[in-house]
Amino acid sequence: MSETLISGSGQQGAIDISACYNRETGVVDRRIFADETIYRMELAKIFGRAWNFMCHESQLPHPGSFFMNYIGEDEVIVVRDRAQKINVLINSCPHRGNTVCRAELGTTNSFFCSYHGWNFDLDGSLVGMPGEEPFYRNGLQKSAWGLTPAARVESYRGFVFATLDAAAPALVDYLGWVGRLGIDFMASQGDLEFLDGVHKNRIKCNWKIAVDNLYDWYHVKVSHGTALKLGIVQEEYMSPMSQMVMLGEYGHGIGGPGLTEADQVDFDARMAGAAGTARWFDGPASARRDPAIRAQLGPVGTRSFGHPNIFPNLWVANTQQLCLRIPRGPYETELWWFNYLPKGCSAADRRRAVFAQNHMFGPAGFLEQDDGENWSHSTRGAKGTFGRTLPLNFSMGKGQDKVSNDPSGQSRIETVVNEHGQRWTYQSWQDWMQADSWPDLMARHSMPPQGSV
Amino acid sequence: MSSSPEAAITQRMLRKFEAEEFLFHEAALLDGRRFDEWLSLLTDDIHYWMPIRRTTQAREVALEFTAPGGMAFFDDDKGTLTLRVQRLSVGRAWAEDPPSRTRRLITNVCVVEADDHSLTVQSNFHLHRSRLNSEEDTWFGRREDVLRRAEGGLKLARRHIFLDQTVILAQNMSCLF
Repeated sequence: MSETLISGSGQQGAIDISACYNRETGVVDRRIFADETIYRMELAKIFGRAWNFMCHESQLPHPGSFFMNYIGEDEVIVVRDRAQKINVLINSCPHRGNTVCRAELGTTNSFFCSYHGWNFDLDGSLVGMPGEEPFYRNGLQKSAWGLTPAARVESYRGFVFATLDAAAPALVDYLGWVGRLGIDFMASQGDLEFLDGVHKNRIKCNWKIAVDNLYDWYHVKVSHGTALKLGIVQEEYMSPMSQMVMLGEYGHGIGGPGLTEADQVDFDARMAGAAGTARWFDGPASARRDPAIRAQLGPVGTRSFGHPNIFPNLWVANTQQLCLRIPRGPYETELWWFNYLPKGCSAADRRRAVFAQNHMFGPAGFLEQDDGENWSHSTRGAKGTFGRTLPLNFSMGKGQDKVSNDPSGQSRIETVVNEHGQRWTYQSWQDWMQADSWPDLMARHSMPPQGSV
Repeated sequence: MSSSPEAAITQRMLRKFEAEEFLFHEAALLDGRRFDEWLSLLTDDIHYWMPIRRTTQAREVALEFTAPGGMAFFDDDKGTLTLRVQRLSVGRAWAEDPPSRTRRLITNVCVVEADDHSLTVQSNFHLHRSRLNSEEDTWFGRREDVLRRAEGGLKLARRHIFLDQTVILAQNMSCLF
């Protein structure tokens, strides 16, 4: 099980992945946020194998529409071809490695390498190059020298993902019910339109610190104290006592506010005309009164307003936004905020949504301004020669809750603020890092817990 | 008014001086953390906007900036700008506690339009932020401002900020531009 490797710093000696997260105590080894060798392993074993979010189909409206993204640190072009198929191509010419596309988005007929002029079709195939006859003397087998495509590209309800590993399970199976529910939270709102403009910025934090934070409903009152004090967000909504956590295979999870069954009964009764007082969840729950939406989300999913993470790095936020956390070395992460709306929503709904999308998150957002400060300093805390040897405590709620099952299969933990989602992330991270291949990961990965958790 | 060339130049100099005096004073207030005084320089109907900039192919440079009313880093009115200032004094604004040290260099000031009521002014800026012991951020860009004549002097009625960065390389933009 254990994997021994030499730390990138050369000072710390061997790092045993099996000891990086202690499943008994919930203690995390800080070196996973700072070690160069671990980071390189993550790029290969996690980002190199996972289904990575690329974009929404609506961002590629026409043949030739492209959007640039990353799989780990590898730049990829996501492009719709003339047959309407969406391709994901490594942005690197097979001749000298130069990039063949340098814009973040746009429309093109082909990808032309600016070094020697090799030209590639929208499906990545090599169309031609200067000197094919006089210099190569027609000896180059063009069909073998196209842009390298991702191993597989698949969509779930309009959300496009790609994997570099041909042995990965089908996207729907990878997502499992928890990952699919995370996307269903969005897709159940209707036919979606992704808005022009992705907010992008860099934070000097390890990517896992950012991911871990999306499950964190403990930090709200402290990290985001100003937003609460100014009434920009409501405390009862941002940090309610009733929390629900759902854990899925391969590290997916949903954690955060949830209505109890009694809350849901109370809400439905009030909506049907019964007397009662307004509650924190009335706003979001109102958007899920439609039986068709409830059927998509399931009896338990309907009661969840938590934050899904599609492992490894896609946060589905409650503000009609998605945040992708792209690794940029062990100490830096790029945050990309994608924004969407249901097509044909009213002008007033659009204005409200755009206001929230522009003002809550992103580098100037009223909530997120203060996150970067904390995440970068948490990462810094893993750098010191002595500091990096100190354990981190992820024990909140450990051993104090139990998993409840439902005939629908939607198992969940209903509890107070907790760190179940974070622990699940690090446990699953450990599974990925210890696996030698997808078949190995499929065979040995953690199954979502049952009973006491 | 005389229409001699000298008179026209004098008028342009006066306008430029007026604009520069306003912008330099404004920058000094922000660098001096005199944010409440800065708010008093804004008209009640101010629009303060920083679109998202993207790297595009040369032939699609029209896509470079997001459109008004859409996604933006700042799309503020007096109310949200006031909240940004209030943020700093209610406690727990960690991005600015300890406070950043900022320095704004405002250059290339050019009055591009003027009438009796307002001046439209373009300027370049270099905003440098020094934080804690060793953190530094720099932003370069261009601003297009409308300065409106009001009681007590010019006020800022509109600011469009065009950063040179596409990906913001700072961990936040807790400062004003």
